[in-house]
Amino acid sequence: MGVARLKKAELYYHKSVHEQIAAALQETGACQIISSGEENHQRPSDIEALISKNDEILADVRYLTRTLTPHYVDPVPALDRMLGERPEVTMAELEELAAKTNLKAVCDNTRAVEHETGEVRLKLSDARNTASILSSLGFFPYPLSVITEGTKTLTGLIGTIKPENVGGIRAALGDFSKYAQDTELIVAPFSEKEKPAEVYAALIYSRSIEDEIRDICAKNSLSPIEVPSSLTGTADEEKERFAGIISELEAKEAELAGKLDALAQENVPAVQKLSDYYNSLSARYNGTAMSDETDSVMLTRFWVPTDRADEIRQKIEAISPETELTLDDPSPDEEPPSLLNNGNMVRPFNILTELYSSPKYRGIDPTPLLAPFFWIFFGMCLGDAGYGIVVFGLIMFVFRKYKKIAPGVKDFITLFLFCSVSTFIYGVISGSFFGNFIDAFLPPLIPLKNALMLVDPMTNPMQVLGISLLLGVIHLMFGLLIAAYDKLRHGEIIDAVGNDISWFLLIVGLCLYGVGLGGMLPPHFVQIGGAMAIIGAVIIFIYAGKGEPNYIKKVINGFLALYGSTSYLGDILSYSRLLALGFGSAVIGMVINLLGGLAADIPYVGWLIAVVVIVGGHIFSIAINILGSFVHPLRLQYVEFFGKFYNGGGEPFTPLTLSQEFVNVKA
Amino acid sequence: MEYLGLSLALFGAALAAALAGIGSAIGIGIAGGAAAGVMTEDPNKFGSCLILQALPGTQGIYGLLIAFFVLNKLGLLGGAGAVALNWNQGLQILASCLPIAVVGWYSAIWQGRTSAASIQMIGKKPEAMGKAIILPAMVETYAVLALLTSILMLMGVQVG
Repeated sequence: MGVARLKKAELYYHKSVHEQIAAALQETGACQIISSGEENHQRPSDIEALISKNDEILADVRYLTRTLTPHYVDPVPALDRMLGERPEVTMAELEELAAKTNLKAVCDNTRAVEHETGEVRLKLSDARNTASILSSLGFFPYPLSVITEGTKTLTGLIGTIKPENVGGIRAALGDFSKYAQDTELIVAPFSEKEKPAEVYAALIYSRSIEDEIRDICAKNSLSPIEVPSSLTGTADEEKERFAGIISELEAKEAELAGKLDALAQENVPAVQKLSDYYNSLSARYNGTAMSDETDSVMLTRFWVPTDRADEIRQKIEAISPETELTLDDPSPDEEPPSLLNNGNMVRPFNILTELYSSPKYRGIDPTPLLAPFFWIFFGMCLGDAGYGIVVFGLIMFVFRKYKKIAPGVKDFITLFLFCSVSTFIYGVISGSFFGNFIDAFLPPLIPLKNALMLVDPMTNPMQVLGISLLLGVIHLMFGLLIAAYDKLRHGEIIDAVGNDISWFLLIVGLCLYGVGLGGMLPPHFVQIGGAMAIIGAVIIFIYAGKGEPNYIKKVINGFLALYGSTSYLGDILSYSRLLALGFGSAVIGMVINLLGGLAADIPYVGWLIAVVVIVGGHIFSIAINILGSFVHPLRLQYVEFFGKFYNGGGEPFTPLTLSQEFVNVKA
Repeated sequence: MEYLGLSLALFGAALAAALAGIGSAIGIGIAGGAAAGVMTEDPNKFGSCLILQALPGTQGIYGLLIAFFVLNKLGLLGGAGAVALNWNQGLQILASCLPIAVVGWYSAIWQGRTSAASIQMIGKKPEAMGKAIILPAMVETYAVLALLTSILMLMGVQVG
C-alpha cells in the first residue's frame, strides 16, 4: 500500500553487451533511467551513432504514419481498438518485420503519389479559373486568338466596365473617327432595368493605335482582364475543351487518391507496427544515452521498485556474467520518483490521485484514504439503483467481450464498476429505480421499494442534507487527523496540535454541542462538546500568536485565526452538493418517466414513443449524471479533503517501456 | 384575479428554465469556440474537449428541473388539473425559482469562460485533464447551492 519503495541501482557492464542490457531493462518496464546530472554529459559514442541512424528511419515512419493513416480504413472499429483489440507481436517479430520491410521504397512511392497529386491539383485549379473566365466570354463572337495572339494588323482586349461608362467609351471611339473603321466594341448584353455592377466588353483595334486605345480605356475605366494565352478558339469551343480537361484532371486526381488509399491499405498495418518498434528503440537508446562510459565499461543508473530488483538482476546476469549491479536505498537528499503501489481494491482509484498530483516519495499516498469516500459520494450523486445496474452490466459486458484491455484503461473502467455498486446501494436506500419508475409503471413493487428505503430525499430532504453534511464533517476531520499524523511522523508535535488537532477539537466539539442541544444525544455530550470546542479554540488562539513578540498583534492574530472557522463552515456546506446532485438525478429520472407516461396517452403509436422517450431519456440522464457524479465528488477530494493535508508535488515514476501506441508489444 | 397565483408561479418556472438555459447556452458556446480552436491543432482531443465543453451545461438542466418541479407542484403535468393557488403562494413559488434562475444564468457564463481556459490548457498540457475539469467545477458549486436553495424553498411552500 502507498508509495512503492525504490532502490537506486548502478549497473556496470561491458560495452559489447550494451544493446542486450538496454533491451532487457526496457522489457521489464520497471527501470527509470537516471540522468547523470552533469551539465555537459557526453553521450556514449556507440549509442550516439545508433540514435542518429534510428532517428533517420523514425522520420520516414512518422512521415508515412502522418500521410497514410488518414487514408487507411481500419477493418476493426475504433472502439474495439481502444479496448485492446490490437495485434500482439514480440520484439523479435518486429525486428524481422523491420529487416524485410523496404521503408524507403514505400516512402518514395508515397512521396511520388503525393507530389503528382499536388501537380494535378495545381493544374486543376488553373483549369477551373480559366473555365470560370470562359463562362462570361460567350458574348464574344470571334475566336479568342484575336485577343491572345492578334493578326498582323489587328489585336484586342477584353475587360470589365461599368454599364454607365459604355456610352462614354462609344463616344470616345466615335470622336476618334479616323480609327473608327478599324475598331469594334462589343459589349456583353445586359438588361437596362437591373444594371449589373460591371459588364464584360471586348475591343478590337488596329495595332497602330494601341496607345490611344489604352488611353481611352483608362479614361472610361475599362479594366482589361488577363485572358490565358492558351485560348485560341471561340469561347464556346474553348469552354467545351476545358470541360474535357477538367474532367480528365479530376479523374486523374481520383485515381491518385485511389493509389494513396491502396498504399495506405497495404502498408499502414506494417508501418504502425514499425512505428512502435522504432519508437521503442528510440526510447531505449535515449535512455541508455544517459550512461557514463570508460573505454570498455558502461555505467547506467536507474530507479527500480525494490520488489522487482531480483528479477532484473537475474535477467542481467543471464546476458553476461561480467556485470555488476549495486542496489542502494535513496539517500535523504535525493528525491526519487513516486510509484503508487495499491492492491486491486484501491488501484482503480490511483488515477484520481495522479490526476491531481503524485505524492512525494516520502509523502503519504492519499489514494486508500480517499477511495471509500469517493465511492460513497459517487453513489450518493448518481444514486439510482437502475442506473447502477445499467453501468454495472455494461462494464461487465465490456470485460467479457474484450480480454486485452490496456491496464490503465481497465483500471479506469473498474473505478466506475466499483462506483456502480455504491450507486445501486444508495438507489435502493433512497428508493430510486430509474427515477420513480416503480411508482409510475410498476405499482406492485411499491411495497418492496418502500420496505428497503432508509431515507427519502423527495419528502424529507433535510434528513439527507443532514447526512451529507455529517459525511462532510467526517471527511474533513479525517483529513485533519491525517495531517496531524503526518506532522507527528516528522516530529512536528506543536504544529500538529496547533494546526490540526485544535481545529478537530473545535469542530467536533461544536458538532457534539449542537447535536446535544438538539436533543439527539444524551445531555452530557453538550458539556463534553462545549469543553472540546473551548480547548480547541484556545489552542488555535495561542498557536496563531506564536512567534509574535507584540502582545496586541498576538491577540489580533488569534482572532484572525478563529475567524478562519468560516472557511470550515463553507467547506462543510459544500457537501450539500451530495444531496443536490442525488436529487437532481432522481428528479431528471422522474421527469423522463413523466414525459414517457404522457406520450403513452397518444393513440396507436403512444407506447412506441413512450419507450423511445424513456429509454433515450435515461441513457441521456446516465451520461450527464455520471459526468456530474464524477466531477463533484472529485472536487470534494481535491479542494476540501486534500486542502487539509495533501499537496502532491512528486514526480511520477516513468520507467523505460516499449512503445505500444498501435500494437501490443510483448518482450 | 383568480389566476394571478398560478400565473406568478408559472412566471417563476419560466424564469428558471429560460435564464438558466440561456446561461448554459452562452457558456457552452464560449467553451465550444475554444474547443474548436484546440481541435484545429489536434483533432484527437475531441473527447476531453467535449467533456469540458459540457460542464457549463448543467445549469440549464437544473433550471429545467426546477421548472418541472413547479409544474408538478401546480398539478399541470398529467390530467389531474391545476391546484388552487392564491397570489401569495404564487409569489412564494416565483421567489423559490429565482436562485437557480439568476445564479444558473450567470454562473453558466462564467463557468463557460473557465471551461474555455481549461480547454486552452489541455491544448498545451493534455496530462493536466484532472485539474482542467476541477477549475470549471469550482464555479458550478454556486449553481448547485442555488439549486439546493430553490429545491428547499419549493418544498417549503404549501399549496393546494
